[in-house]
Amino acid sequence: MTEIEHYVAPTSLEQAAEYLRSGEVTILAGGTDLMPQSQSGRLKIKRTLMNIRRVPELNGIAIDNGAIRIGALATMTEIMQSELVKKHLPILIEACDHFASDQIRNAATLGGNICNASPAGDTLVPLLVLDAEVELASKPNGSLSRRRVPLADFFTGPGKTKLGAAELLAGVRIPLPGPARYARFFKFGTRPALDISTVSIGIAGTLKNGALSRVRVAFGAVAPVPMRAPRTEQALEGKRLDPKTIDAIAGVARDEVNPIDDVRASAWYRKELIHNITKRMLGHVAQT
Amino acid sequence: MSLKHDIEFTLNGVKRRATVPVDMSALNMLREVIGLTGTKYGCGEGECGACTILVDGLSLNACLMFAVDCQGRELVTIEGLAADAKADALRAAFVEHGAVQCGYCTPGMVMQASHLLATHPHADAETIKRGIEGNLCRCTGYKKIVDAIAAAGSADPQGAAP
Amino acid sequence: MNVREKKVRFIAPDTLIGKRIQKMDAPEKASGKTRYIHDIDLPGQLYGKILRSTRVHALIKSIDTSAAKALPGVHAVITAADIVNQRPIGVAKDHLPLKTDKVRSLRDEVAAVAAESEQIAMEALQLIKVEYEDLPILTDPAEAIKPGAVLVHPEPHRPDGEEHLKPVGPVAFTGKSDNIAMRFDYCHGDVVKAEADSDVVVEDTFKLHYVTHCCLGVSGMIAEFDASGHLLMYSNTQVPFLHKREFAEYLNMDPGQIRIIQPAIGGGFGSKLDIYPFEVICVFLARAAKRPVKLVFTREEEFISSPTRQPVLLTLRSGCKKDGSLTFRQVHTLHDNGAYTSWGATTPFVMMQTFSSLYRVPNCDYHTIAVYTNNPYAGSFRGYGNLQATFAVEAHMDKMAEAIGMNPLDFRLKNAQDEGEISGQGMDFKSCRFKECLTIAAERSDFRRKHADNIKNRKAPGPIKRGIGIASMLHVGGGAKIYPSDGCGTILKLDDFAQVTLITGASEIGQGSETVLSQLVCEELGLPMSALTVVNNDTAITPWDVGVHASRTTFIAGNSALGAARLAKVKILSAAAKKFECPAGDLDLRGGCVIKAESGEVLTDLPRLMRNMHFQDKAELVMTTFYYEPPSSHQDKDYKGNVSAAYAWGTQVVEIELDTETGIVKMTKVTAAHDVGRVLNRLGIEGQVEGGVVMGQGYALTESLIVEDGVTRNPNFRDYKLVTAPEIPEMDIAFIESMDGEGPQGAKGVGEAPAICVAAATANAIYNATGVRICGLPFTPERVYRALHGKGEKLFLERPGNSA
Repeated sequence: MTEIEHYVAPTSLEQAAEYLRSGEVTILAGGTDLMPQSQSGRLKIKRTLMNIRRVPELNGIAIDNGAIRIGALATMTEIMQSELVKKHLPILIEACDHFASDQIRNAATLGGNICNASPAGDTLVPLLVLDAEVELASKPNGSLSRRRVPLADFFTGPGKTKLGAAELLAGVRIPLPGPARYARFFKFGTRPALDISTVSIGIAGTLKNGALSRVRVAFGAVAPVPMRAPRTEQALEGKRLDPKTIDAIAGVARDEVNPIDDVRASAWYRKELIHNITKRMLGHVAQT
Repeated sequence: MSLKHDIEFTLNGVKRRATVPVDMSALNMLREVIGLTGTKYGCGEGECGACTILVDGLSLNACLMFAVDCQGRELVTIEGLAADAKADALRAAFVEHGAVQCGYCTPGMVMQASHLLATHPHADAETIKRGIEGNLCRCTGYKKIVDAIAAAGSADPQGAAP
Repeated sequence: MNVREKKVRFIAPDTLIGKRIQKMDAPEKASGKTRYIHDIDLPGQLYGKILRSTRVHALIKSIDTSAAKALPGVHAVITAADIVNQRPIGVAKDHLPLKTDKVRSLRDEVAAVAAESEQIAMEALQLIKVEYEDLPILTDPAEAIKPGAVLVHPEPHRPDGEEHLKPVGPVAFTGKSDNIAMRFDYCHGDVVKAEADSDVVVEDTFKLHYVTHCCLGVSGMIAEFDASGHLLMYSNTQVPFLHKREFAEYLNMDPGQIRIIQPAIGGGFGSKLDIYPFEVICVFLARAAKRPVKLVFTREEEFISSPTRQPVLLTLRSGCKKDGSLTFRQVHTLHDNGAYTSWGATTPFVMMQTFSSLYRVPNCDYHTIAVYTNNPYAGSFRGYGNLQATFAVEAHMDKMAEAIGMNPLDFRLKNAQDEGEISGQGMDFKSCRFKECLTIAAERSDFRRKHADNIKNRKAPGPIKRGIGIASMLHVGGGAKIYPSDGCGTILKLDDFAQVTLITGASEIGQGSETVLSQLVCEELGLPMSALTVVNNDTAITPWDVGVHASRTTFIAGNSALGAARLAKVKILSAAAKKFECPAGDLDLRGGCVIKAESGEVLTDLPRLMRNMHFQDKAELVMTTFYYEPPSSHQDKDYKGNVSAAYAWGTQVVEIELDTETGIVKMTKVTAAHDVGRVLNRLGIEGQVEGGVVMGQGYALTESLIVEDGVTRNPNFRDYKLVTAPEIPEMDIAFIESMDGEGPQGAKGVGEAPAICVAAATANAIYNATGVRICGLPFTPERVYRALHGKGEKLFLERPGNSA
C-alpha cells in the first residue's frame, strides 16, 4: 500500500534532476529491485515515483576521453552484447553472464545494481577492480552539474551509498585498460546464475614476467559492502606467482575478510572459499 | 487509495489503453485489469519465470515491471503467441515431446523459449538450459522442455527473428 | 442407379500400449488457455486473507477486530469466537482451523477477512490487534520429549473446569500429558538373536531435513453457498471424496449437499492430501459474508504455511554375515511432529516397509516416536517417508559390503528378492525384477569399473573427484489399503458417433492419469485417442475414488476404466454378433471398426453400429460402470499384511563430480532401471521418472527449508533452491517390464518411485569419491566441505526407554 501522489517520466536529465530537488522521489529504472522491495514492504515508495527510462543521457556505451562510459540505464543484456565491452572489459561480461536470469538481465540496469548497493552485487566487484567511477548529476543551484566519485568510495553500508538525496546516478566511467591488463571475476555458486553470491572475487593487474602490478583485488558478499582488499593487494603487488607465494597471498586474503553467518553460508566457510578460490585464481594467472 | 495513471500501449498487436495504480505490476495489470490469465503468478519476485512476457521483443518478468512502464511499448503475452506461426511450431513441439505436465510453468516457458529461439536460432541443449535458467519447473525435470525447444529450433529452416 | 460398392477393408493389428502418447490437455496448457484455480473468478466474489500468528508459542489474550470490520470494503472478519462448535481437523483431530486460546507455531491462523479486493483484505489484516503472552518455545523434539517440557497440547480446561473441546469420532482429541503425538512399533523376527549371529554390525545416526513441495501454482480455494445452503468448493484437493465427507463433519452439514469441483492443478506431489485450516476458513468466510470467497496464498505464505516433508532423526543398526547375507535391522526414529498432526506423522507406515523389506532381511525392529514441537508440521510428499528410510538403508548396504570386502553391487544382488517372495512384513512380491534393475543400472553406467577407479583416485592430485553410487527402492505400486476401500469407480458411455466419455473418480494432478486411462480404454475398444473425453473433476458427477496417493492411479483407476471398457466391449460385440450372425468370440474392435478377429476384415464401423443399436426396436445405448477394489489386504494391528496389490522396484546409479576445494557436488549422470510392470504411455512415464529424479536431486543437493527457533528463514525461491535447468544430470532410463498379473496391461505405479533413492545413491557416490560418509542432508557445498575437513556435524539420537 503505497502513498504515491505523483508519477513523472522526465525526458531529459535536466528535467529529472529538477524533480529530484523536491526530495521525496523514488527512482524507477529497470524495476527489478524496486518492485519486489515495494511489494514486500521492505521499501516504501516516496511521494513521487520518477521513471527515468526515457532520459536519453542515461543510455549508451561509448568511449569518452580514454574511458568507457556506460550509461546508468544500460541493461545487463546490453552490456553483454556491447562490442566495446567485449573487447575491453570482458570481466564485466563474465559478471553479467552470471546475473540472475535472461529475463532479469533484459531489464536490470547497471545504475540500479550500483544504487541497490548489495554487499553481493554481481557487477560491483568487477567494477571495483576496473577502477570505475560513478557520475552523479544534480541541480544544486538551478543549473545541471555533475561530479564523479570513485566506486571504491561510493558504498557506505548494505544498501547505502553516497548518492545525495537530490542526485541521480547518470553513468559509470571505466578507464580503458592497457594491453597487458589482466582482469578476472569469479562468482561462487552451484548454479551458473540465479544465485545471490556466497562469495565473489575480482582480481586485476598488469601482467608481466609472471607477476601482477598495479594490482586491484575486490571481494563480494564478505563485508557490509563490496570491498577492495588493500592487504591482499599489497601482498600480491609485483610478486612472482610461484606456489608458495600464492599460498601466502591466499592466507592474507582469508585473514583480511570478516564475513557474517547467514542463511547462505557461515563466516568460516566464506573465509575458506576466499582462500581456496583466490589461490585457484592466482594459479590461473601464473599459467597465463 | 493508490494514485492511478492512464497508459497507452500495444498488447498482442492491438493498441489499447488502461488505467492502472502507479504501484501495480504489469503482471497484476494483465491478470486483473485486462483479464488475461495466461500469464501466471508464481512468486512475484522474478525468481520463477512463470510470468514471463515479451516487451519490445525482450523477455521480462511481468511481476517485476511497473504497469505504468508499459506506456508506449509493445507487449506480447502467451495469448498473443497463439496467432504466431513460429509459435505454433514451438507449442506443437512442447506437446509432442511431453514437455507439459501440470502446465503451470508452461506459458512462461513457451514465452522464454520463443525469445530464446529468436535470438539463438538452432540453439543446442547447453544454450537452451542457460536460456531457461530463470524458469522453474517442478514436474518435468526440464529434460523434455529442452528437447522440445531444441526440436523447434532445429526444425526452423530460416532461424530468423519473427 | 446408384449402387454403393461395399468396400472391404482389412485393418492390421496395432497398439497404443508402449507408444509415445501426447498428454491430452497439453495443447491447451501450452496456449495459456487452461484455467487454474487462480484464474477462476465467480461473480460477486470476495477475497479472503488469513491473519497468522506473529509468535511461535503463545497464549492469545485478546483479539480486537473492530477497526478491521470498520474498513470500507470489508464484508466479514472472523475469529474462533465467531464459529459455533468449531471441530478440529487433521489426522489426529488436534488442529482447530481458527485458534482459540493459543498459538503453537508461526503459521497458526488467528483471524480471517473477506473483502472486496486483496488489497483491502490485507489492509484489514493490519488493523486486527492481537495480544499475546509468550510461552517457552520448543524447537527440538529431543527437548520436547523430556519430562517437564512445556506442553504444546495441554489438556484443555475452562475456568469452570469443563472441557471446551468435545471428542469427535473414534480418533483421540487434543489434550495430552506429554508431547508425544504418535508412536509406531514394528517387529518381525528376533533382532537380539540376529545381532549375536552377525559377523558385522554397523550403526549410524542420520538426519533428514525439511523440504517443501514448491508447486508452481500456490494453494488456493473458492467457496460458495448456493441459495439452498449447498456448498460448492473449487479445490485442488487430491482426495475430493474424502474431503466431501470430512467437510460435512466440520461444517455440520449433510455430505450430500457438498460438491467439489477440481480445476486444473498447478502441481500436487502429495501437498493436497490432508485438510488444511485455510480451506475450512475459506468456507467459514463464505458462510459469514454470504458471498463466494476466493482465498489464494502468496508464495511466501505458501512456504511458511504449507506442510513440509517429514524431517526425521533416525538411528539404524544393521548386521550381516561374512557371506554377505543380511541378518537384521534395528531402527529408532524421532519425528518432529510440529505443532499439529498431519500426514507426516504417519510416514512410519511406509518407512517400516522399507526397513523390513528392501532387500531380504530376516529380522527387523522398528520404533518411531513423533513429538510435538512449535515447528511447522509435515504432510505427505512424494515418497512419503521412503526417501528418508532408503537414505539410511542404502548407506548401510555400502558400509557392510565394504566391511566384509564385497563389491557393493554383489552385496545387493545377494540380498535382492526374487519374484514370488513374501517379505517379513507380509508383502507379496508377485511381480519383481529387482535383480534385473540392479544389473541393468550397473551395466549401463559401467558401475563396477568406475567404482573401483574412483577409489584409486581418492588420493590422486587435483581437487576434482569423481564418485559413483548405487541405491535401490521399493514402494507400493498397486495402491495401499489404508482406508476401508482402496477402490475407484468408472462410468463409461459411447454416443451415437462412437465418441467415448470416460467418467472416473481418479483426479488428474499433472501426472497424466487422464491420458493413461484414455489410452487403456481406447486400446480395449480399438479407438483412437481423439475419440475419448475424460470427466474427472466434479464430485457431483464422478464415482468414488479414494484419492491420488501411493502411486495408485494408473493401477487402480486403470483397472477400473478397463473393467468398464471390457463390459462395453462385450455389449458391442454381442450386438454385432447378432447383426452379422456369427459368434461374438470371432469378432474384435480395431481401428474404429468391428472386425473379424482372425482376418482383420471390416464388418462395420463403430459409429454405424452405435446408431444401429440405438435406433432399433429394443434400443440399446452402451453405458457401463465398474468399481475396482484391488486384491490387497489391510494390515493387521502389527502392521503386517499385503498392503498393496503390486510393488514397484528400481535401482539408480548416481555419478558426481566433487570439488574438494569448495565442496560443490555436481550430479553429472543418473542411470535408472525401474521395474514398472509395463510401459503404457512411454512419453508420460519418462516424464514422471525424469521429474522424480530431479526432485530427488533437489532433496539430495540443493533444497533445504531452514527452520530456526520455529521461524522459516528462507520462505522464497531466492534462498530455497529448486534445481534449475542448467543443473540437471544426464539421464539414462531403462524400463523393465515384469508384466504384473493384476496391473492394467501389466502396469504398476511409478509416480513416487524415481524420487526415492537419488539421495541415497548420491551419498554413496560422495563416499566413493572421498571416503567420507555424510549422514545429513542436503549435500550443500558447505556441508560437504565441512565433512571433508573433519568439521561435519555430529548426529546423535537419544533413545528413550523401550517403547514396546
